[in-house]
Amino acid sequence: MISMDRPASRAETDHGTGDAPTGVSRAAPEWLVRPQVGLCPCGCIGRRSRAGFLARTIDGLADVTRQAVFADEIGSRAGLLQRLDPRTKLLGLVVLLVTASFVHQVVLLAALYLLSLVLAAASAVPIGGFLKRVWLTIPLFTAFVVLPATTNLITPGEVVVPLGTWFGHPVGLTLQGLTGAVLLVSRVAVSVSLALLVTVTTSWPRLLEALRSLRIPRMFVTVGAMAYRYVFVLVEVVTDRYTARVARTVRRERAKAGRSFVVASAGALFGRAHQLSGEVHDAMIARGYVGECRTLDPPSFQLADATAAAGLVLIVVSVLLAGRALAG
Amino acid sequence: MHIPDGYLSPQTCAVATVVMVPVWGTAARKVRETIKRREVPLLALAAAYSFLVMMLNVPIPDGTTAHAVGAVLIAILLGPWAAVIAVSVALLIQALFFGDGGVLSFGANAFNMAFVMPFVGYGVYRLISQRVPLASGRRVLAAGLGAYAGLNAAALCAAVEFGIQPDLFASADGTPLYAPFHLTQTIPAMALAHLTVAGGVEAALTAGVIAYLQRANLPVLRINRAARPPAATMPGGGPELEPAVAGRASWKWAAAGIGLLALLTPLGLLASGGAFGEDAPGELNLGRYGLNAVPEGLNRYNGFWSHTLLGGYGFGDGQNATVGYLLSAVVGIVVIVAAVFLIAMLARVLSRSRAGGRGRPDIPITAGGAS
Repeated sequence: MISMDRPASRAETDHGTGDAPTGVSRAAPEWLVRPQVGLCPCGCIGRRSRAGFLARTIDGLADVTRQAVFADEIGSRAGLLQRLDPRTKLLGLVVLLVTASFVHQVVLLAALYLLSLVLAAASAVPIGGFLKRVWLTIPLFTAFVVLPATTNLITPGEVVVPLGTWFGHPVGLTLQGLTGAVLLVSRVAVSVSLALLVTVTTSWPRLLEALRSLRIPRMFVTVGAMAYRYVFVLVEVVTDRYTARVARTVRRERAKAGRSFVVASAGALFGRAHQLSGEVHDAMIARGYVGECRTLDPPSFQLADATAAAGLVLIVVSVLLAGRALAG
Repeated sequence: MHIPDGYLSPQTCAVATVVMVPVWGTAARKVRETIKRREVPLLALAAAYSFLVMMLNVPIPDGTTAHAVGAVLIAILLGPWAAVIAVSVALLIQALFFGDGGVLSFGANAFNMAFVMPFVGYGVYRLISQRVPLASGRRVLAAGLGAYAGLNAAALCAAVEFGIQPDLFASADGTPLYAPFHLTQTIPAMALAHLTVAGGVEAALTAGVIAYLQRANLPVLRINRAARPPAATMPGGGPELEPAVAGRASWKWAAAGIGLLALLTPLGLLASGGAFGEDAPGELNLGRYGLNAVPEGLNRYNGFWSHTLLGGYGFGDGQNATVGYLLSAVVGIVVIVAAVFLIAMLARVLSRSRAGGRGRPDIPITAGGAS
């Protein structure tokens, strides 16, 4: 029978992060897991540096592997979150995210952020790296984006810091604008921290098992499992292609030639992906695939999960009650 | 365009997710019908491909780089329903594993980039490419324009999602609880970025890949059966069996588009003030436009017709404003549809009588008739 654990865990071993013998340090080299400063991790805004597109793409692809290695390393440590069932973690994450989005007091968001730091420390996540990884990405970008909204031009209200006049109108930072900005940035930071904690302490196959037990249709879960494995295969294909291009490029590439290389790469990559999907399908049929995938060791709900769930309920209820008390 | 958690209210995220559930369900069913058992590896590779395409930096003329989403490209290659699944899975991997885009806002991100974008883009592509041969240059143009339209539609949806936040979710003293920018700011900001740089990059990548595949790997373009033109009867090569695509498909698209527009209409209620000079000339702030008199024609024709059934989009007595507004909207839609239907019937009757006058034989023309 085919197990969906296999493709994904093979992806990890392909990159040298498989099960190491006990006693041998699994720590990845520091340069490999060092986070990069960037404004928007999806790259749509902010990360438009003038570095060549080849170098930037190779860098981005290496970052995918880097993040997988980072998560794999943290996930294999002994810690609080690593002990929990993936379903507990995923449901807990969603509950905490919803709580954070219903909370409208900065104090309570700060408390939730503190909770994420405590969880990080209890789960053997290095705090320095964790802080950098969270704050240097989306919250920093959010803080830049939200700046104009602190003025009375966008958020009218009580002006607390007058800045002068603009076309005859007095302009200044409003209490409402500043509060809204702090609320947004702190909520984004809490959300990113909590999501990061769950993802670095849970392997992808485990997350997918959790999704499957939450009644997500089997096809999506299977596609997700295989897609994750083949992301790394395709990353390798593109990296090889780009590295070869760098090796035979002497001067700086012209934008037009660069674009035609990128579209040819994307086109060739699709051809490769399509060919690969045929081969994978044949291999699946050869191994007895009948349209259904099974998992080798199903997750189990234990005492630690019950304790964690009870703690979570306590935290959520007290945060919501405190929110109500503060509001009125 | 990946919306992180914290920008949207949980209510907005819930609505987007609820909208996406039937879309995902339909996508799974449609894909199973068309791709059969090969669907799982093909979709998995398509999802991995979608993930990779979002990482390819395209050099742009100012010396920097930008990246594309690729949803329209996948819709052209595999069909829009397969694109829904592939892009959704790629977004899920990004959200859960790489922290790009939020977990709660996954539904909203999927709505913009995995639903609106491939369908709008693919619709434009099919509209322009019609049934020209696969290797035609028109398909390259259609792919570029489709990608441009799809990306901008997705950006508009994201802008609307951001922009409704401060108006719907603010505390009593006016503090915005989520994203603070209004529709008047988010729509121009997103439009500026996506109509220029991002849209151009998306169009260039999509059109470029289609042109490349036409030259280098034509069989791949045949995977999406629905987009294949009927094979021309060429000497040497027999015609391919092609299920005829009913002309009604385009009606479905049109109905869906108009239905979406009708559902989005109440967004206008969020805007403050009235339309320019809609109600009475006296309400015009003419000084702002450097005018000092109401145009004579406007004064003369203002109020020349006052026998309306639902004046001011409501009941005459001004009661139940919301019900009146909705009723006006429904009545308006019904009247317009009826009018268009009547005109179309009239046109058909006229064209038929004219064709009959010329004495054209009413014999269906069949391709390759002699057998």
